[in-house]
Amino acid sequence: MATTTAAVTLSSDLMSANISVSASSTLMKAGTTADGLDQMDYGVIEIPTGDQYDLICTTPTASKATKLYVKNHSTDETYYVKIMIDAQDIGRLYAGDWMFIPADFHDANADIEITSIGGTNTIEYALFHEGTTLIAS
Amino acid sequence: MATTTATLTLNSSDLLTDELSLSVTTTLTQTTTSTGIEDTTGLTRKKITSTAKGTASGQITLYTADDFAAIGYLYIKNLETTVGNRIYIYDDTSSGDPIQFQLDAGDFAFIPMHGDKTYKAYAQTNPSSIEFMVMGKDQ
Repeated sequence: MATTTAAVTLSSDLMSANISVSASSTLMKAGTTADGLDQMDYGVIEIPTGDQYDLICTTPTASKATKLYVKNHSTDETYYVKIMIDAQDIGRLYAGDWMFIPADFHDANADIEITSIGGTNTIEYALFHEGTTLIAS
Repeated sequence: MATTTATLTLNSSDLLTDELSLSVTTTLTQTTTSTGIEDTTGLTRKKITSTAKGTASGQITLYTADDFAAIGYLYIKNLETTVGNRIYIYDDTSSGDPIQFQLDAGDFAFIPMHGDKTYKAYAQTNPSSIEFMVMGKDQ
């Protein structure tokens, strides 16, 4: 079994008492605390403007656990990408932003779709999962 | 000006042949600017008592549409410890209240939200505890 950990730290001086929030989790397969996610897709890609693209189109199995990480490497603060799953808006990543979510692949159409706004955005992404239905060639 | 940062680390020594050690940090800024965010809901801990979306009571509102200017950053963690006690985050603004993502026990998420949608949460098990915080720029 592979052991992969994810941790987030949020720090800020917005309030009188500094914000310092940390959380971590071990990426497990669905329904267990004893077996970690053992598959991963990882890539970096340039997303041009003009169309909506499938960032990940080999659909993970709906009942399995899946974690999605995406980072926008753009430096122009007016550039951003829209992230959608199965045509539902999930989030918007402006230059430098990142996201990490346990994705909900609830049916066979739940691809991860991405649209670039403002200009070409360079995206880094990783999908940790335990099962993928490959598309027949 | 306040400085707010979010850091993610992903580590594994045995998923790949080489060690996975990924760390990214972003400074949270107001949309289309380099100016830091100014507002936050603060860290909140609540119990969800609803096991369905829609009209049933007991869901927790994480964010109300257009409360913040443009995008807000959502952090949320499922504080449950029993596997299968999932928290479902859904879009209460769009038709059909589509689920955005789901958190199993111990899972966390961090995401720059859409901003003009209301986000709510319901749970697989009543009650289930979560902690969450939204950061951004108030309207």
